[in-house]
Amino acid sequence: MELTPGERGTGDGGRRDGRMRELGPLIRDLRRIVGRQHVLVEPEDVIVYEQDGSILQAMPEVVVVPGSTAEVREVVRATRAAGVPIVPRGSGTGLAGGAVPADGGVIVSLARLNCLREVDLRGRTAVVEPGVINADVTKGIAPQGFFYAPDPSSQAACSVGGNLANNSGGPHTLAYGVTTNHTLGVEVVLHDGAPLWLGGSVPDTPGYDLCGIFVGSEGTLGVVVQGIVRLMRARESVRTVLAVFDRMDDATRVVVDVTSAGIVPAALEMMDQTTIEAVERGAPVGFPRDAEAVLLVEVEGVREHTERALREIQDICRRDAARDVRVAQSEQERIALWKGRKGAFGALGTLAPNYYVMDGVVPRSRLPETMRKVAEIGRAFGVRIANVFHAGDGNLHPNILFDMRIPGELDRVIEAGAAILRACIDAGGSLTGEHGIGLEKKAYMSWVFTEADLDAMARVRRAFDPAAGFNPGKVFPSPPACGEPRRAPAKIPAGLWV
Amino acid sequence: MRPSLAERLRAIVGPDHVLTAPEDTVVYEQDAFLVARAHPDAVVLPGSPEEVAAVARVAHEEGVPLIARGAGTGLNGGSIPVRGGLMVVLTRLDHILELDARGRTATVEPGVINADLTAQAAPAGLFYAPDPGSQSVSTIGGNVGNNAGGPHCLAYGVTGNHVLEMEVVLSSGEIVTVGSPAVDPPGYDLAGLLVGSEGTLGIVTRVTLRLLRRAESVRTLLAVFETIDDASGAVSDIIGSGIVPTAMEMMDGVVMRAVEAAIHAGYPADAGAVLLIEVEAHHEALPRVMGRIDEIARRHHPRLLRTAEGARERELLWKGRKEGAGALGRLAPSYYLHDGVVPRTRLPDVMRRVQEIARAHGLVIGNLFHAGDGNLHPTILFDPRVPGMLDRVVAAGEEILRTCVEAGGSITGEHGVGIEKREYMKWVFTETDLEAMRRIKRAFDPAQRLNPGKLLPDGPAPAYGMQPGTRAWS
Repeated sequence: MELTPGERGTGDGGRRDGRMRELGPLIRDLRRIVGRQHVLVEPEDVIVYEQDGSILQAMPEVVVVPGSTAEVREVVRATRAAGVPIVPRGSGTGLAGGAVPADGGVIVSLARLNCLREVDLRGRTAVVEPGVINADVTKGIAPQGFFYAPDPSSQAACSVGGNLANNSGGPHTLAYGVTTNHTLGVEVVLHDGAPLWLGGSVPDTPGYDLCGIFVGSEGTLGVVVQGIVRLMRARESVRTVLAVFDRMDDATRVVVDVTSAGIVPAALEMMDQTTIEAVERGAPVGFPRDAEAVLLVEVEGVREHTERALREIQDICRRDAARDVRVAQSEQERIALWKGRKGAFGALGTLAPNYYVMDGVVPRSRLPETMRKVAEIGRAFGVRIANVFHAGDGNLHPNILFDMRIPGELDRVIEAGAAILRACIDAGGSLTGEHGIGLEKKAYMSWVFTEADLDAMARVRRAFDPAAGFNPGKVFPSPPACGEPRRAPAKIPAGLWV
Repeated sequence: MRPSLAERLRAIVGPDHVLTAPEDTVVYEQDAFLVARAHPDAVVLPGSPEEVAAVARVAHEEGVPLIARGAGTGLNGGSIPVRGGLMVVLTRLDHILELDARGRTATVEPGVINADLTAQAAPAGLFYAPDPGSQSVSTIGGNVGNNAGGPHCLAYGVTGNHVLEMEVVLSSGEIVTVGSPAVDPPGYDLAGLLVGSEGTLGIVTRVTLRLLRRAESVRTLLAVFETIDDASGAVSDIIGSGIVPTAMEMMDGVVMRAVEAAIHAGYPADAGAVLLIEVEAHHEALPRVMGRIDEIARRHHPRLLRTAEGARERELLWKGRKEGAGALGRLAPSYYLHDGVVPRTRLPDVMRRVQEIARAHGLVIGNLFHAGDGNLHPTILFDPRVPGMLDRVVAAGEEILRTCVEAGGSITGEHGVGIEKREYMKWVFTETDLEAMRRIKRAFDPAQRLNPGKLLPDGPAPAYGMQPGTRAWS
């Protein structure tokens, strides 16, 4: 189905009616499998599922919300047997359009599979269903001194299944790695409805690492119905520093200097002046508005370790011309410092009606020049860019602020975004740090991979899903065709996360 | 072998780098899986990735099996050419192409020796973390093929955790790049898939690896126990307390006596077991962490707890551990080194069971292993000249691995599957699971020519104890 900017995407009512008649037998099957109330077909119901956290949207034909893994198996079998594509969906907080049904078809929402099945604190593993909310995994075990490490900023709303699909990261990825580093096994449902366990509760299972292939595959190989995740022991001591800089260049130098001093902070986050302005307008936390950048640095470990790392970080910040260096003296102060960072994306809504979140990666040592380049691109395209990102990983999140109602503005935004990603790649970096490829960046895959490289990935796709009916039109570049949705931006809801 | 094939190979790599005479190729009939061997039809030593690709294309066109080999230190028979064919030895690709101290990465060819990379990185205060016991001889390519581990993997993870990007030659001869230097490579994690695939999906010709900063201070504690039971209990409790030592190695009395006889590292030869516990941290943090370990170890009736005084003593203790397997040669003409994994919490009862199995088969088993990971290496000592002994060794090994699987563990922690454990794959995987792996194999190697007979339990099963010059398969 083809959408045009600003159009809601219901398209031509007659055409939809015809298609729904075609899908009639499948819809009857789906209702029998999951119950009538869990199959949505009316435009006013399915429209809720037309977009995720990206600026792309397309109208699904049918939305199914199965209530058990057995139902998922039957839904997949029936849908794929009817030759209809399936788009798996978690909480819909993804930022690359991965849950947008580009080729129509059936959205399988895993939101009802939200049971935390088993927690083994001695073995430090948990068995979770895909619809479990990320933060809920930690919530139940925090009193015993354990946590689940991957912490995307959307963690209060995003699902573990969505995190698995996108191999999500977060501020603490710097020390603990991304989702794949914390996933021991997954149970998936393949295109014919057959279940399959990959990996297991023991790390490094023998044979090919198929669990690793499914993590980050963005729903293109199958539907994850269960995962075994690793739990970690909470650290004895956590200390957080906020450093304020008059110049962005000084802040980026601190990032390079801290890491080359051999310090591995648990998190090293940066916010620029535009973001500071938004935070102070939205939910003020007392960041100085005239500063060009603030850095939030967190260290974890045994007390003696964090005390010394804290001293070293403060010394480096001062040496690199920080205007102000503050250390949180209590848990309350620590939470207050993080509040500005966690609320930053939502606060951007105070500056512009829309924004486009980029997710490029550069080697840390190239951070200073890349940040200058991002600013230049903003000027060249006449767009305002707010930066709030995981500086320690070199994982940039330039947010291009815009108003989609202004004709032609969206095109400039997309071009500026492409120029930023190009700059990341030219600096020896990559297209995405944690948000995935989805619809948004698939055309750019050919910038980093040769045709042979992409074909190697396509072999894996064909091995698991020969008809390519799981989340079609994602990840792999394809020439624009009539099945391709046009970019149709919508106002991003307040409180969007990265 | 048809002359035309040898001629084509010589044209690619030069006449000096193609071996076809039996007296030359016999050197390549075996790896460190001492109980099997088979003869390659020809051995090629390419000098560049392009030559590897050209060799692969020729093998593709001629329909000949292609077996990649590094230093031949693998313990699962993964480089034994059980179905004959062309062996591609990667030892000439031994260049460290780039060492980026600022970005903390190294780009190397597959024939680079593991320890040489750390030696090159040392002046910059960096090291390459995976440290298999064979690190002074084993190659990065072989480590990648087997997803090798080592004592310090407890803190730093196995090879796969340190591989960022690879260049790989596929069975078709195509050269592809997988992975990326970024934290989360776009698209499918093919680098993760290729690591540990034992040469069955492609041949690695270039690897970009992560390097780590040397820790500021290191302490090594030697804890001596009267019984393996006490030592196992200490391991379980230390990890349970939330402390992650960089290494926690166990050696039993059998191994200690061999090590002492060989190198006099200072292990008490009459004790039941020792633990070698290493902690890296800021020097301010060390005393308290060591204090806590000491306190936990004391609950398990240690005979002695001693912190190594200075680098020399530390190195000597480690030398004992690293050369432990070699020292076993003093006790028996041959040994079979096993590699099973159990959940740490099951360590005490599994270790008891291993001793029972040894007694039941009338065999001596030495244990030296990565206790912190629950990664066992029961080493069965034997004399291949004693008729019927090898059968008992193989049977005891199977029982040990079964015990690991029944305890919720697995058949290999770091040595891989190869020919040794391919049949045991059926113990841990269902037919559906195995079929999923076969799909991947077919996707990358439809003609089944890359390292055939390995990893998956397909085709005739291996026969151990072959005579030199015969094939593992009839």
